[in-house]
Amino acid sequence: MIVVEAAIVVIAGLGIGLAANELSPRGLALSRNYFPGGTNHVPAAPRPVQAVPVPAGTNESPEAVQLSERLRGKGLQELKRSHVEILLRDPRNQDGRLVFVDARNPDDYEEGHIPGAYELDPYHPEKELATVLPICLVAEEVVVYCTGGDCEDSDTAAILLREGGVPGQKLFVYGGGFTEWEAAHLPVETGARNSGINSQ
Amino acid sequence: MWKRRAFEAAAVLARWALGAFFVYMGLKKAMHPEEFLKLARQYEMVHSPFLLNSIAAGLPWFEAFCGTLLLLGIAVRGTALTLVAVLVPFTWLVLRRALALQALRAIPFCAVKFDCGCGAGEVFICGKLAENLILILVSCWLLSGIGRAFCARHALFSGKSSRG
Repeated sequence: MIVVEAAIVVIAGLGIGLAANELSPRGLALSRNYFPGGTNHVPAAPRPVQAVPVPAGTNESPEAVQLSERLRGKGLQELKRSHVEILLRDPRNQDGRLVFVDARNPDDYEEGHIPGAYELDPYHPEKELATVLPICLVAEEVVVYCTGGDCEDSDTAAILLREGGVPGQKLFVYGGGFTEWEAAHLPVETGARNSGINSQ
Repeated sequence: MWKRRAFEAAAVLARWALGAFFVYMGLKKAMHPEEFLKLARQYEMVHSPFLLNSIAAGLPWFEAFCGTLLLLGIAVRGTALTLVAVLVPFTWLVLRRALALQALRAIPFCAVKFDCGCGAGEVFICGKLAENLILILVSCWLLSGIGRAFCARHALFSGKSSRG
C-alpha cells in the first residue's frame, strides 16, 4: 500500500510540477535546447589539471585553455580582457558599430554591467532578442559576456545571435566575463543601459 | 507513556521540519529554474534537452509538493518513501561529482565546495552528505508510521484520519 501511495505522490507531484512550470512566468520551455552549439551536457567528469594541454610558449592557466577549447568547439571567437578594454574606449562604441551584450540574468545586469551593454538573457530571449538582434546585425563587432569561466550563458547568447543572422566573424565572447572585469576595477554601469550611473 | 508521547511529538516536529525544508528548497529553486537547469546539467543524468528541461522544471515544484504533503500530514508514508527514493540516488550523484572535483582540484575531500543544485548555493561536501543522511534517516523514521498527530490524512487508503 505504501508503494501505491508513493506512486500516487510521484504522479501527482510530477503533474503539479510541470503544470506549475507552465503557469510560472519564469518557467522553462520543455522542448527548447538551452545549450545549443554542442551536446546538452558538460564534458564528462572534470578532467585532471595535468591532462589539459597548455600550448607551448603561453602562460595560460589550464582553466583558460579549457575555456578557449570550449569556445572554439562552438565556433566562437574569444576576446581577452585587454582587448575588451580597448574596445570599450573605441569610438565605434558610441555610434552602435560596436556592441556589448550582457548574457547574465536581469538581477545581475541591474547590479552592474559593462557600460552601454545590452541585456540579453539567453533563457528568456523573447524579452530582449527583438531589440538586440537588429542592433547586432548592423554592428561591426559584437562582444558577448556573462560571469566568465565556467559560465556558458555568453556562448548560448552568442549562438542565439548567430542563429538570428549575425555573422560569426563579428561575434566575440569575452571569456573572462564580468567577474574578471569587476575584479580589475574597470568601469561598471549600474541600473538600466546608459543610466549614467557608474560605480567604478 | 510519557516517553512514547515525547517520541511522537518529536516525530511530528521532524515531519514539519522536513516538510518546511523541502518547501523552502523547492520554491527557492523554482524561482530560478534556469539556474537549477545549469546545475542539473552538470550531473549528466540525461542527454536529451527535453528530459533535462523536464527535470529542472518539475523537480523543484515536486519537492515543494512533497514538503507540503508532509506539513499537512497527507500520505505521509508514501511521501517519505518518495523522498528516500529521490534522496538516495541524488546523494550518490553529489558524491560522484564531489569525487570528480576532488580529483580535479587535488584537495582533501571535505574541502570540496560546490553548488550541488540543492538550493543552498555552494556548500562543503561533507556537510552536504551529513545533511542528506539526516534527511534520509528522518524520512525512514516517518516511513515507519510514526508522527500521526496533526495529520490531515496520514494514509490515503486506510480511511482513517487523525487529528491531534
